[in-house]
Parts: sequence; C-alpha cells; structure tokens
Amino acid sequence: MIRRYGTLIGLVGIVVVFSVLRPDTFMTVGNWLNITQQVSILAVVAFASTVVMVTGAFDLSVGTMASLAGMVAAASMQAGLGIGVAIALALAVAAAGGAVNGLLVAYLRIVPFVATLGTLTMFGGLALMVSDGSTIFGRAIPQAFGAFGRGGLPLGTVDGRAVILPNLTIVALIVLVLVWVLLEQTGYGRRLYAVGGNAVAARLAGVRTRLVMLGAFVVSGLGAGIGGLMLTSRLASANPTQGDGLMLNAIAAVFLGVTMSDEGVPRVLGTLVGVLILGVLANGLTQLQIDTYVQQVLTGAIVVGAVAVGSVRRRAS
Amino acid sequence: MPPSTAAATPPPEPRLRVVRADHRYGATHALKDAHLTVAAGEVHALVGENGAGKSTLIRLLAGAETADVFSATIDGRPYTPRNPADARRAGLRFVHQELNVAPSLSVAETVHLGLPYPRTPLGTIDWRTLNTRTADTLSKLQLGHINPATVMHRLSAGDAMLVTLARALAAEPDGPAAGLYVFDEPTAALSAREADRLFDAILRLRATGAGILYVSHRMNEIFDLSDRVTVLRNGATVGVFDTSNTDRAALVQAMTGREGGLAGRTPKGRGDAEQPVVLSVRSLQTRQLNEVDLDVQAGLVTVVVGLPGSGRRALLRAFAGDATLHGGQVHVLGIPMKQSPHAAWQAGVAFVPDERRGEGLWLSGSVAANMLLPHLGRVTRAGWVRRRHEQREAEAWAARVGVRARGVRQPAWELSGGNQQKVVLARALAGQPQALLLGEPTRGVDVGAKEEIYDLVRNAAQQGTAVLVATSDLEEAFTLADRMVVMAHGRIVLDAAASDLTREAVLTAAFRDAAEEVAA
Amino acid sequence: MPRLLSRFVVAIALSLTFAVAQAGTVAVLTPYLASATTKIMVDGVEEALTNLGHDVNVIDTAGDVGALDSRIQDVVLQGVDAIVLSANPELVPAAIQTASDAGVPVFGLDAGSLVGLQADVTSNNYAMAAQTATYLVDALEGEGRVVMLVHPPYAPVQKRGAIARAIFDNTPDIEVVDEIFVEVPGPLENARNAVEAVLTANPEAGSIAGIWAAWDEPALGALQAIESLGRQDEGIAIVGLDAIDPAREAIAGGGNFKATVAQDFAGIAQTVANLVDDALSGEDVERRTVYVPASLVTQGDLR
Repeated sequence: MIRRYGTLIGLVGIVVVFSVLRPDTFMTVGNWLNITQQVSILAVVAFASTVVMVTGAFDLSVGTMASLAGMVAAASMQAGLGIGVAIALALAVAAAGGAVNGLLVAYLRIVPFVATLGTLTMFGGLALMVSDGSTIFGRAIPQAFGAFGRGGLPLGTVDGRAVILPNLTIVALIVLVLVWVLLEQTGYGRRLYAVGGNAVAARLAGVRTRLVMLGAFVVSGLGAGIGGLMLTSRLASANPTQGDGLMLNAIAAVFLGVTMSDEGVPRVLGTLVGVLILGVLANGLTQLQIDTYVQQVLTGAIVVGAVAVGSVRRRAS
Repeated sequence: MPPSTAAATPPPEPRLRVVRADHRYGATHALKDAHLTVAAGEVHALVGENGAGKSTLIRLLAGAETADVFSATIDGRPYTPRNPADARRAGLRFVHQELNVAPSLSVAETVHLGLPYPRTPLGTIDWRTLNTRTADTLSKLQLGHINPATVMHRLSAGDAMLVTLARALAAEPDGPAAGLYVFDEPTAALSAREADRLFDAILRLRATGAGILYVSHRMNEIFDLSDRVTVLRNGATVGVFDTSNTDRAALVQAMTGREGGLAGRTPKGRGDAEQPVVLSVRSLQTRQLNEVDLDVQAGLVTVVVGLPGSGRRALLRAFAGDATLHGGQVHVLGIPMKQSPHAAWQAGVAFVPDERRGEGLWLSGSVAANMLLPHLGRVTRAGWVRRRHEQREAEAWAARVGVRARGVRQPAWELSGGNQQKVVLARALAGQPQALLLGEPTRGVDVGAKEEIYDLVRNAAQQGTAVLVATSDLEEAFTLADRMVVMAHGRIVLDAAASDLTREAVLTAAFRDAAEEVAA
Repeated sequence: MPRLLSRFVVAIALSLTFAVAQAGTVAVLTPYLASATTKIMVDGVEEALTNLGHDVNVIDTAGDVGALDSRIQDVVLQGVDAIVLSANPELVPAAIQTASDAGVPVFGLDAGSLVGLQADVTSNNYAMAAQTATYLVDALEGEGRVVMLVHPPYAPVQKRGAIARAIFDNTPDIEVVDEIFVEVPGPLENARNAVEAVLTANPEAGSIAGIWAAWDEPALGALQAIESLGRQDEGIAIVGLDAIDPAREAIAGGGNFKATVAQDFAGIAQTVANLVDDALSGEDVERRTVYVPASLVTQGDLR
C-alpha cells in the first residue's frame, strides 16, 4: 500500500498541511477549481510527454514548442486569419515539429536528449522569428479567443459566489481521457510500452518500432501545441518565450508519476498526480507567503525526494 | 580409450601444470577432472565442443573465478589465483577474442593500461618516452607498421588484436617476466594476413621459452601451430596428443567420444519430397552468409548447426527479416518477403530469438502483452484492445504451452527462465504461423521445460508448420531434427536427413576449414 | 521531508500572524526580478511599504508569464488587500480580471499600461527622450548631421525614438543621416559595428556631429566605435538614456559621451507605496498613470 501509493500519500499530506495552515482559503471549492485551471496547461503538456517517455525517450522541445504554437496562432490572428484557421495552423506546426523530432530520433537514430535539445533551440528561435521578438497582445487577439481561457461552465453558487468549472480544466480532462485511452486501451499503447520495455524484442516481435516512436513524438508535439494555445488564450497574449518553462515541470511531473508504478514505467494517471503535486505546492506555498526562491528549493527537494524514495524501494523489492 | 595418450611426452620443467580442476555452476558440473600441462617453449592447443569446459578452465587460470578444486603449479611453484592480479603476478598473460579496450585510447595508452606511465620531471605524463617504449614493444613483435600515437578505433580488427597482444607482453619494468601466454580464439575476427602475423608473433614468443596455451575451433591453425593438443569433453580431459602424430579424425572422435553412429536414436526421416516448400532463399548474401541456397519444407523440423560465426544464426535472422541482404531474397510460399521483422510476421513467419531476455521478452510487460504483441490486430477492433478477447486468447495459449504463472497479467520478469521461454514460444505459435524460426530454443532452460518445449516444436511440425531451428547444442539438434543443415564459413557444407548422419559427420563438416572450402 | 516542510511552514506562519494584525497585506509580483532596475524598484516598494506598516510579499516568476497569471490568482484567493504588479497588465488580463472581481486593487510599478490597473507609476519615455534630444540639439548649436540608434519593437524604446526624431526634424539645420536598428541581444557590439560603418562611410572630420542613442548600451557602443577609429577629437557628441554605471563613468571622464537621463527609481517606488497606502487607508485614488520626473545627467552633475 505505502510502497505503491507513497507518492499519492505525499500529495494528500501536502494538502492536509496547507488545509491546516490556511483553513479559510486553501480548502475551498474556488481555490481547487483555481488550482485545476492553473495546472491545466502543464497537465496537457505532461500527459503528452508521458507518451514519449513511455518509449524510454524524452522530448525536451515541448516548452519551446508550446511557445511557438502559441505564437503562430497569435501571429495568424494578428494577420487577420480566423480563430479556427489560427488554431489549425498552430496545431499543424506542432505536429510537424513533433514529426521532425520523431524522424531525428527514430530514423536518424540521434539520441533523444541531443535531438530534442537541438529542436528545443530551433523552435525557440522560430518563435522569436515569427514574433520578431516582441509580444503580441491587446486587440491583435480576438475577444472570443481570450474569453475562452478566462471562461468556464457555471456549476452553481456557493456563498453567493458563482462557481465556474474553467474551460481550460475541461480541456485538460479531455486530453487526460484521450491519452489514457491511447496508452491503456489501444494496440498502439501496448506497442508503445513494448518499445519502452525492450525495443529490440519489440522489433523482432514485428512491432514497427520506428513508426511507433515517430507517432509518440507527434503526440508529444501536439500536446505541446495545445498547451501553447491554452496559454495564449488564458493570457490573451503571446510572448515568444512564455511556454519555455513548461518542459522541466512536465518531465518532473512524469517522473513523480513513475514513482507510483511498480514496473517503473510512466502511466498517465501517475503523471496526473505529479502535476497536482507541483500545482498544489505552487498554490499553497504562495498562499503561505513563502519566499519564491525558497519555494523553488522546496519544490525541487520534494521532487528529488519522491523519486529517490521510489528508486530505493524498487531496489529493495 | 584415447589411443595416443601414452605417446605424448611432456618436456621437463613444465611452465604450467594443472593437476586437477573441478568446478560447478549451480547444477552444471562444468569441469570435473580436467588436467593440462604446458611446457616451456611449447604451443599447446586446447580443444573441445561447446560446453566442454574450455572457457571455464581459462577463467579459473585467469583468476576470474575461484574454483571448487584447483590444484596447479607454475614453474613448479603452487598456483592458486584469487583474482586477475594474482595471475599477472605469476607471469600469465591473456589475449582474448573480445577486444575489451577503450576505442578512444591511443595504442601506447592501451599497451600501458594499468601500468605506471613514465613521468616528466614536472610529474606530467612523458608522452614521448611512452610512445618510444611502445614502439620498441611493437617492433619486437614485428608490428613496426602500427603507430603508437594512433587511436585504437582507427586500427583494423587484426591490428587491434595484435596491440592487445603487445599489451600482454609489455611487462612492468621491474616486474616478473611473463612465462605463459593464453590465447582464447584469437583469430575469430582476423583476416588471413593478420592471422599470419599473429602466428609469427606466437612462434617468436615460443622461441623465447615461454609456454603458450592456444584455444581454437580451427583445425588448420591447431595443426599448423601447436606442438601438442589437449582435448576436453564434458569437463574432463580425455586425451593429450602430439600434433605431429595425430589427425583430425582422431581429434574429432576424442571431442565427441563416439566412434560409430548414434546408438539408440530413432531415425525420423519422412517423405521430404512431398512436403511443400514454405521458406526459401537463393544465393543469399550477407556479411556472414555466402551464396546460401535453402528450401525449408512444411511439416519438418530442419535444424541448422555450425560453430559460432558459421552463419547459422545469421541464416535464421535473414528468414526473420532482421538482416541486411547484399544479394538474394527470402521467399515465403513463393512470395518475396521484405527484410523487416514486421513483414516476416505478416507473412506468417514467427521468430523466437536466441537471447530470451535481450531480444525475446519485454520483462516489465505482462505474460498476455508479451504473447500477443505481434498479434494485437486479432484482439483489437479499430485499434481498441478488447480486454476480454485478449485475456481469453492469452489464457488459451498459456495453457497450451503450459506456462506456469499466477495469471496472464503477471509481469514476465517474475517467471522462471523456462516459463519465460514458453511465453516467447507461445507468442510464436499464437499466430498459427506458416514457418516457425527458433534460435537456441532451450538455452538456460531446465530439463523438464526442455522436454515440453521439444514436444511443442514437434507438434507444430506435425500440424504442417515449417520449423527451422538454429542451435549450438548438438544433442538438441539430433533430438529435434528431421533434416540437418551444417554450416561453416557462411556456407552450407552438409545437408541431409538427420537419420543418415552421425555426430562425427556433422562435426567434421562443421570444423571444415576455409582453405579446404576454397579448394573443394 | 514533510516534517521539515511543516516545521518551516509553521515558523513562517507564526511570524506572519504578528505582522498581519497591524495593517494591510500587499503582494508585489513580477516576472523580471533578475533585471537590475526591476530589482531596485521592487526593493524600494517593499521597503517603503514595510516602513508604512504593511506586510509585503514579493513573488518572482523568473520570466514565466503563465506562472505570473497563476500567482496573481493565488494571492487574490489568499485575500491580499492590494497587488503591485511590475509587468504589463495586458499580458495577464484574466488574472487582473480575477483581482478586479474580488475587489483587490492592482497598482502598476513601471507597468507601461493602465489596462485594468488602479494606477501605474512610471517614467515618461517621451519626456526623457525629449530631454536628451534637446540637450544634443543645444550642444550642436542647432546644426549638424546626427545618427540615431533605435529599437522600435520594444514599445518604451520606440516612444523615445519617435519623440527624438520629431525634435530633430523640427530643427532646420539638423540632418538625421541614419536611423540604425540596434539588434538585441548584444546591443553594445551591434551598435559599435553599425557606427563604425557609418563613420567609415563619412570619413571627413565633422561630417557626423552627434549620435543619439535610445538607451545607454548602444551609446557606449558608439563611443567604442569612435575610439577604435581614433576620431575622438572631432567633437562628436553622444547622448544615451537610463544612466547605467558605465555610462556615468564615461560621462564623468569628459569624452564624447555627453549626457544621459536617470530615472528616479526611488521616487517611483515611494510613489507606488504612497498610492497603495492611500488606498488601504480608504482614500480615493485617482485612476491614472503617474509620471515621476527623470533628471538629465551631464559631466557637471557627476563631479
């Protein structure tokens, strides 16, 4: 019980500590909906990254890809294209970027770390090129596009205040279901885990491993693209580096999730717990007015601690 | 039984005398009553079948393993090595077939690896002296053409091997001189010219009075080079021969321990001609295969045997779609097959690779997931896994091959070796394949599971599957084979009904040398 | 780990309960604390507000605008009384909306836009550019050929360039030879290379009389160009803007670099603090941008 669910228990523990210390503001429906909205973008990127990490690879380029996709959408809208066209363009760029990663890793056999480190820089540069280095905001972003990131489904009222399920949370839940189905319920998911478990054996068992890898990177690129669009919608603006920070947190979330798996493989529900830990920590520590630099140290220590505990118990078993 | 033991007269003052060596690995009695004597100024060959105990004996000599019983002397002094440093101190030097060197080091660094480097007065490494010293060592071996400053990975395989030889020769300035050199299959990766250079070096070493223990599968090398031969069989020394007074037939007979045919074996030959051809290749050319023609028929078990590197494994790989072909093509039921494992499975060719853990299983995956990996199409609809189907299918096959597991959702790493192998076999059988390719089907499997696996393989053949087995285990080959194909140097050198063959015939063919091959 | 965390948290929480009792809680948020000028202003606001008896919480999101959005929401939910934002509010419209819905006033600290804010306190880029451009015109006695070093993509710098251009165009005997776009990053090197090219193309002494730079780094680059070409003695006058330390040194040394403008960061910080204090004391704060005057810095000021 404790072995498998240690990380989940850690999440519950963090929640309890914050609830005790900030009883009036932390454990409220409003704050929790707020947290789900805050983590929604990271969650989408992390869920999609899970697909790549299942195969044993990494995608370091998801952060700058999110920036690039958001920028492409904003620039398209600034140029007068419709919202639908702008979104389609952004997602096409994201899928193409993912495919480039996939080709580099699966077909040219470049180590994922190196290949995606290269494309990380490329995508970041492209985002700057698209925007000429500046931020697109204000009237360039149509009202409706920005309204989506701010709006949500009214759930009713609590203490006279409207409780709203944020649209971004809904998007993240949809992506969660899609990735869960892909990984756990489809033949493609089985092949992904097989490639991650033993690529040679999978290939000799007739799995087209290169195609499987390529697909995984396309999914990861698309996830980054959706995350970038969510960010642009939420901020009603696009800055050429606004998504860059997502990559490290996405990878941290996946690793936190891996600690919950007996086989040491990434599972998307584990990633969800990882994302929530990061989100709850950021929210709660801010509410406790802990210095931002101390927050960083604490968050890093908690991630490392959880992963260390996970690896120690796996060695012990 | 060995006819010429008495004829061997060891010269006085042996460099190495192993009076008795006995060693077990778990249930395997790898060495029992092995003995060996290498005289000063002698090249002594050590031969035997796979598994006869050669490698174990060498590991014990090198101190890589501590023997259960090991009584030996070097130059008359007792020798009980506990680690490789002991061996080095006693004057033993080993040249292995695998080049365990760092490819980014220079020749001079490789030769002096583990030895103190010469220093400049400032304490930095004196590269000039190091290179000069290396050049001296190399020229003593007539290897003047190798530049000490060259990086190892730029050398040919042969030169790299010769450098590791130089490394074995480079003695510490004030350490003891080497008295015994052990060469373990040194020519496996060498061209003929490189091998000649190596032989020159070995003969020069012999002239200095050193003893040389030479392990090889290659008969012509043994006869060209050695003064005496020790034959191991089933972990025991069964004969010591003066090379000049013996011949190949005698050595092969000593290695196999049989003079006539296989007593007690029931011939299984069947009406081959009537069976349809499932797999075929014509003029197949790869890096390891040379102009191979073969038809594999339905309903028969065809077994490919041969020494390591003979092409037996490479042939299986080509049928499995995992080879780079330079010529020829694989046909399945007359239809050309693309070289990819995926294409092979699609064409109905199922493959059980030799390395169960490395190539066969996905250890973190469940029994069911491992079994059905190539057959996901059968348990999915529109890409969606139908769990109940998957469960039922996996359970049926687990039962049919007799996998003992808690359930088909148990992860593969929790199973025993035999059960893991059955999972891989179930995977191959689950597709009801046209052809079944098996590499080392019972390696590392206990005796009980072995018999079960043999039954499964025979059943598959009886139901009309074309079965092609590649094995290094001759016992297994004769147990399974309807038809036996012997390979050497990338060619098929013998192809006959198993009932018409003896172990001697198979071994003689397998040991046939490249030179004879060309002449024939 | 959790024990250590909880101890830490308890300690901080205890220390807070004392401070909160007295006055308002103010959160100061910025993604740019690593920038030296932002740091000066944020520290100034923190000190001024603390002196006024308020409890201040500084949050830096290290360049991450998405995180800035989340942290604004967090502090609103936590129940702060006011927010000071050192970033363009148009980058985080949703969070500003959240604050406004919750009745938490947001004050801009050099924010550059008033959208959704109660007030923004900043320097007037138009005014500062006018100060340096006018100084240059006066130094040249209204006559000569001038090179401008500009960077329009960044809005505040674009404002500076526009106003300087208007002043030069309005002076009959001043001719703007070239308006050079300075690439960022690397403004110093890029400006030096560009100015070297212009000077080489205009070899006669006095053919370039002045160089107007939109900020100090390109001005320093121009100074290096003049020195490397050995044309210090032609009396080419350079003006910059922002009064960074190397610029002050160059001006004090009495070479070609003649003047810059120092923003009154302390004044900006104090003004924001006063506005916040007013709002928390229940006074009406006029919704507007407050410009804090900046002062011209010349050799005379640095003696």
